[in-house]
Amino acid sequence: MATSTRNLNLSRSAALTAALEAVTAGQRGASAQPLTRPVRVGFVGTGDRGSAHLDILLGMDSVEVPAVCDINDAYLYRASRWIKESGKPEPKLYGKHDTDWMRLLERDDLDIVVCATGWKWHAQVCAAAMEAGKHATTEVPAALTEDECWQLVDASEKNGKHCMMLEQANYSEAMLQVLTMARAGMFGELLHCAGGYVHDLRLVKYDPAREPWRLQYSIDHNGNLYPTHPIGPIAWVLDVNRGDQFDYLVSQSTKAVCLNEYAKLHYGEHSPYATMKMNQGDVNVSMIRTKRGRTVTMHYDTNTPHPHTAELRVQGTKGHFSGNLQSVYLDQKSPKPHAWEPLANYRDQYTHPIYKAIDRDRLGKTGRGHGAGLTTALMWTRFLRAIREGATPDQDVYDAAAWSAIFPVSERSVAQGGRPIDFPDFTRGKWQTREPVRLG
Amino acid sequence: MGSPNATDSRVISSSVSRRKIIQSGAAATAALAAAPIIQGQVKPLRVGFVGVGGRGTGLLRQLLRLDNIAVPAISDINPQNLARAQKLVSDTGLKNPEGYSSSETDFEKLCQREDLDLVLTATPWQWHAPICIAAMKAGKHAATEVPAALTVEECWQLVDTSEQTGKHCVMLENDCYYRETLMVLKMLREGVLGEPLFAEGGYMHDLRAVKFNTVPNGEPWRLEHTIKRNGNLYPTHPIGPISWWLDINRGDRYTSLTSMSSRGGAMNEFAERTWGKDDWRTKTVYQQGDVNTSILRTAQGRLVHLVYDTNTPRVKEHITRFQCSKGVYSHMMGKMFIDGASLRGGESDDDEGWRNRNMWEDAEPYRQKYESQLWKDKGPTASSSGHGGVDYMLIYRLVKRLQAGLAPDMDVYDAAAWSAIFPISEASVAQRSALQEFPDFTRGKWSSRPAINPDEIV
Repeated sequence: MATSTRNLNLSRSAALTAALEAVTAGQRGASAQPLTRPVRVGFVGTGDRGSAHLDILLGMDSVEVPAVCDINDAYLYRASRWIKESGKPEPKLYGKHDTDWMRLLERDDLDIVVCATGWKWHAQVCAAAMEAGKHATTEVPAALTEDECWQLVDASEKNGKHCMMLEQANYSEAMLQVLTMARAGMFGELLHCAGGYVHDLRLVKYDPAREPWRLQYSIDHNGNLYPTHPIGPIAWVLDVNRGDQFDYLVSQSTKAVCLNEYAKLHYGEHSPYATMKMNQGDVNVSMIRTKRGRTVTMHYDTNTPHPHTAELRVQGTKGHFSGNLQSVYLDQKSPKPHAWEPLANYRDQYTHPIYKAIDRDRLGKTGRGHGAGLTTALMWTRFLRAIREGATPDQDVYDAAAWSAIFPVSERSVAQGGRPIDFPDFTRGKWQTREPVRLG
Repeated sequence: MGSPNATDSRVISSSVSRRKIIQSGAAATAALAAAPIIQGQVKPLRVGFVGVGGRGTGLLRQLLRLDNIAVPAISDINPQNLARAQKLVSDTGLKNPEGYSSSETDFEKLCQREDLDLVLTATPWQWHAPICIAAMKAGKHAATEVPAALTVEECWQLVDTSEQTGKHCVMLENDCYYRETLMVLKMLREGVLGEPLFAEGGYMHDLRAVKFNTVPNGEPWRLEHTIKRNGNLYPTHPIGPISWWLDINRGDRYTSLTSMSSRGGAMNEFAERTWGKDDWRTKTVYQQGDVNTSILRTAQGRLVHLVYDTNTPRVKEHITRFQCSKGVYSHMMGKMFIDGASLRGGESDDDEGWRNRNMWEDAEPYRQKYESQLWKDKGPTASSSGHGGVDYMLIYRLVKRLQAGLAPDMDVYDAAAWSAIFPISEASVAQRSALQEFPDFTRGKWSSRPAINPDEIV
């Protein structure tokens, strides 16, 4: 990325972040404690996602980045340069080998560690960070096995440190409006939600220079390998871990043909990928039932030719939201019987408070692709505010564990031909008394 | 059970050229197989009707538009329905049908008549299988409104009776004849879509007012099922087209099913709003969960994601996605994406380029390019009929195939497999979504039965 573009992005996110901080400061009101010192953040992994988070944090006041770790020198020095360009103190660099992040964790000048490495490192970096007295945040998924999920929960409870999975989908304006409408009873009693990660990543999987680990997961695993984007917002709407809990899950995958066919077409019949056995079925479907009898269906499909979708549904006894259509149907409220109307019709009344004061002209200019603009900046603002105030972040370790566990639990169900698997209760019963997530 | 391939061999032998069938019985058919049709001298196909309410009358109207048919007998316990249907027939110049309305089982007498080739059933659900079985045992082909059966045992009874008698049993799944159903079938046959992998659809239709009979065309008998059952109670509309696309019973078959229902609540809320807190309808416990989802697996490793949702306030939806290895079709959106043919967005090197940029295109050009022969030939005639023309297509194909002595597009194995989803999903829901094995109603013949071809003109 050219330096000029980078600076432009930096200034955009700086302006955006300032606007967001003004919003939350306003909400905090007179009771807010003055900050005594900047929040100090260490980075482990500064590739695509890590650099997006760094970009946002560098635009914030009262944030310092004393240490950065990456085994890829190009990413590491880019991060170092960005930090210096932002006028913050020069960071100490780590990355001599795969586990050099352990030395980073030994520092005593870090409040938060951000993990944005390949998937397999997330849980161990976070658990070790909490053991070392730091709050942990990680790119999705937070963990790959049920054991790892429990390690995160145990480390968080034992050390009194938070572990937040950076699921920015929860902070999209539309989803927060839907959450507001659901809380106001506009959909009635909630019954069913559906979501999916349907994103043609065949090209990306065959670009190992960029993400060498991604194809390997399709070779080794078979389940819903990437559940957090859809399940995050759904879990908030259904109060999972906070009044309801996943009870059991069923998952099945189709056969795998698309990755082989793609390799055959683009790299020739003799390409090893044209015939290599891919474990991951092309389309995975999972169904989850909650303790309160609500159901969730999810798709995971990164292999088939399909346009990218915003598949998400919320259904209740009084109404229905479709993410694909960005529309709602509300019983006896929508103007025409059995016909969609735009979600935007209810924007004025149900825009979430944390979005109400945002400058919409500026909002339109923040897109950087992965939603690294507004929603991610908003997520960071929320998280840093919680850490500064000693509060629990919006997404906590139980969410990180439950949302991530869909990967291993679905894999287990698929391996058993689609048998139902009991879902672990990472809250150990506390879901019955924990309060629904409160934002702002 | 008779000769295991009785049905198939009859199809093959009679496919040699156009033939007529005027009498019942496999032996009679074989004896007549050598006689070529003389144009214009096809003997009429004689159809008896059982049940001429809204749906039966609609199908009767379509039948009466065709040549070479007769309607010698009609049964309905409602004398007004019967009289209306009799008048419809006699108004077209055909002989006035004899009526049967003395009891719920008067259809048995109708089936015993010697002047019928086909008995068409459009009664409430629980009568479909018994009437079809009685018709086949009396030497008549059977056709029934959906679903053909309510239990797995009934499904097997239909299969066994059809094989023993050499008579067809056709479930009248009209959605199989949508222009788009046949368009997708043609695209599959021509390799445009690649290999089928996944289908998602369902019967998603707010029927609360229909069940509670608060609208003119209410169907209060549906309410009883919602009170007593819990599963996918109405699978055939989405599963019909999907099964045609997946070559179910003709190269692939359903092997397992798991099903899950959400809690209920929407029926009670509707009743309370309409009749108040103390009404029996408000206090009733409705077993049926408001949203039911099932996953079917096939022998070829394909999946179907099937929804049944008739209790919630919603916009009607049908087949939402048909995913193949080279492309995807969304019936709900009327959109198509074909790998390598449909446009892709910009390919810049930043995050936007990294992200996939496949773009939907409108399905209409494909509808024209891959228009089925059936719709090309009969579309203009059909389009004035019910459900956008499919009711005409359904009856037209059934009558033409039977008149020619050919197997109908949909046979007893389809009727059984599509209907069995109801009881099998119910069993899975009752057992906390336990995996259910799906019966092979073809007893192994699925792997060698010929593909369906609704474009084959008779």
